Amino acid sequence: MSRSYDRALTVFSPDGHLFQVEYALEAVRKGTCAVGVRGKDVVVLGVEKKSVLQLQDPRTVRKVVMLDDHVCLAFAGLTADGRVLIDKARIECQSHRLTVEDPVTVEYITRHIAGIQQRYTQSGGVRPFGISTLIIGFDPHDTRPRLYQTEPSGIYSAWKANAIGRSSKTVREFLEKNHKDDLSRDEAIKLTVKSLLEVVQTGAKNIEISVMESYGKVTSLALPEIEAIVAEIEREKEAEAERKRSRLAATAAGQAAMSLRAGDAGGTSGQ
Amino acid sequence: MNTLAEQFSTTSALSKLKKTQALLEDEEMSDAMWGSQAGFGNVAQGSPSFAVPAVPDPSAFLRLHTDDRADPNCKIKIQHGTTTLAFRYQGGVIVAVDSRATAGSYVASGTVKKVIEINPYLLGTMAGGAADCQYWETYLGMHCRLHELRNRERISVSAASKYLSNLVYSYKGMGLSMGTMICGWDKTGPAIFYVDSDGTRLKGDLFSVGSGSTFAYGVLDQGYHWDMTDEDAQELGRRSIYAAGHRDAFSGNTCNLYHVKEDGWRFIGNYDLSKLHYDGPNNVPGAGYGYDIRIAGRASALQPAVAAAA
Amino acid sequence: MEVSFALTGKDYVIVAADTTAARSIVKMKTDQDKIKILSPHLLMAYSGEPGDTLQFAEYVERNIRLYQIRNLYALSPSAAASWIRRSLAESLRSRNSYAVNLLVGGFDTTTQEPHLYWIDYLGTMTEIPFGAHGYGSYFALSLLDRYHDPDASLEEGLATLKRCIDEVSKRLVVSPDRYKVKVVDKDGVREVEL
Repeated sequence: MSRSYDRALTVFSPDGHLFQVEYALEAVRKGTCAVGVRGKDVVVLGVEKKSVLQLQDPRTVRKVVMLDDHVCLAFAGLTADGRVLIDKARIECQSHRLTVEDPVTVEYITRHIAGIQQRYTQSGGVRPFGISTLIIGFDPHDTRPRLYQTEPSGIYSAWKANAIGRSSKTVREFLEKNHKDDLSRDEAIKLTVKSLLEVVQTGAKNIEISVMESYGKVTSLALPEIEAIVAEIEREKEAEAERKRSRLAATAAGQAAMSLRAGDAGGTSGQ
Repeated sequence: MNTLAEQFSTTSALSKLKKTQALLEDEEMSDAMWGSQAGFGNVAQGSPSFAVPAVPDPSAFLRLHTDDRADPNCKIKIQHGTTTLAFRYQGGVIVAVDSRATAGSYVASGTVKKVIEINPYLLGTMAGGAADCQYWETYLGMHCRLHELRNRERISVSAASKYLSNLVYSYKGMGLSMGTMICGWDKTGPAIFYVDSDGTRLKGDLFSVGSGSTFAYGVLDQGYHWDMTDEDAQELGRRSIYAAGHRDAFSGNTCNLYHVKEDGWRFIGNYDLSKLHYDGPNNVPGAGYGYDIRIAGRASALQPAVAAAA
Repeated sequence: MEVSFALTGKDYVIVAADTTAARSIVKMKTDQDKIKILSPHLLMAYSGEPGDTLQFAEYVERNIRLYQIRNLYALSPSAAASWIRRSLAESLRSRNSYAVNLLVGGFDTTTQEPHLYWIDYLGTMTEIPFGAHGYGSYFALSLLDRYHDPDASLEEGLATLKRCIDEVSKRLVVSPDRYKVKVVDKDGVREVEL
């Protein structure tokens, strides 16, 4: 086994950057968008689905996967890398049950995944994983929903709501503006869809939503449900636009009236 | 090393150890390196290890030098006789043990601590090889602390006992001798697990281990019920150990009593079994546990009619 | 004195095992579950060397679960039994082999058939209509030869199982007093009271 210098690919640049890791982040930015939103006692994952080709079987393209009964993961970036990382995580979930009898906590498996990602930034002969992940779930004997994110560098962090992948910055800013604490199930789902619509132009058919309501209770929304939510959002937007328009018209009319009156007043005072 | 199947396909400790080391050499990405295995196994290259005699069959070697029944002059005498018990009830867990150590027919010590304080919330009891229990339960304590540091919460009794069970199971057939109860309090409340060197691990409400266990069970089973008060529970633990100390030649001397509650374990006291026999726990002459003391003044004989009339 | 039975009937498999955990002459526990639910339609009763039994059963349980999470469908009973047998056979030649006897019962949802496999610690596997491990087999096998009906309803099947248990209680010197009974059929796995 050779242990020569050429096995190391991830090396520091003179100004302290790990270019390979930064390139990996770039791969994430090119990936499809995924959004996670934590509500009062619910946590929602939404992903942007790539349109499948006409002859492709859409069931084989999965971006939201279960790691165990109570942990769900979505990723953005290189799908092939994601598959490998997911498999490692699934093994760890079962291994954890085997060695300590308890299921993993969401933080534990997040830390484990981030640990693997970190390892691939510091080992010879490998390249970092080109994916970021959003991990949702509930801890055993606990009712609080959890949402974590991991990055190619191996950083992991907890969030109230977050987005990864394409245009994640826009979506995150949208979430920052619109997220409230203690969202109900429907509100959380709606916020997820709404934020995804910021980047997904094609609407409901390219959105996939998974909802976790309590330990081990996961549902994936069917297309008609998502369509209904999208339609509702559109209606609201429409109404909002309508209101804006009428308000604008009203202000315009008001201003016009005011200026008219002002003209009158001027006229009178001049007398 | 991709599937559980490959990771666990052989159970022997040596092959496991070799495999771990091989992994570390071949591949710098072994799980052990960065603390997998459910947060365990970062110490000593991922797998716990102790030196095994460099002979083809370590257990036969060990048996040859430790079996005092077959050869009274054997070089190493392992302590065997013991009574330990633990039970769970409404108010927590009671752990009671005797303190006698015998080597063959010789009482080697009468002041052995057979309760191992793993951490403020976990107790382990000691039956079988004293060194095995002491070493591995202390080792367990170390890993419990690491678990706390890694996961920012106390280890469950279930997980701790499972760790010990997996550990001793990996040395199965190599001469370890342990019969222990891991007792404590976690998120799920009071818990007791019986773990022995066969690799058996049982969850339960009431266990007794050791040569005197049958005698202890006799008193314990009859007096046990879930809704006992703390005083009654402590008394039952003491009395059961006394019973075993009285009837089993390899158990005796004193009784150490512990009580585990929500805020951790507390040492209740050390009781001389002879004193318990005559004076009971509160040193009241005539209030002892001993049969003769208990029945003083009572007899099975029919009272003579004359004497009764007079 | 571990005893376990299993029998098939019309579209179901019944698996029963005693619930005692003994060490020398002492019963350490009398409510130990020795039947693992491996997947929605798969049961495994295990007996044998203390330590090995649970260790092997849990190892099997986690691998079968892993398969299901990875592939989004469970292994069929025949595939699972073959995998279990192979794991056991591979361990047989290792330094420390698993000394475990198994009864694997499952319902194949693709063919709608119940299957029962008898596996011993040497890695022998055979598909059978009924089977037993432990001292119970000396009494139950002849009894089942006489009374087993592959077409029996669940009630009849349970009645036949009751015969086995009663016979063992009557004739075996140290017979277990409690059993755990689980059934697997098209609706999945459930525990039944006798």
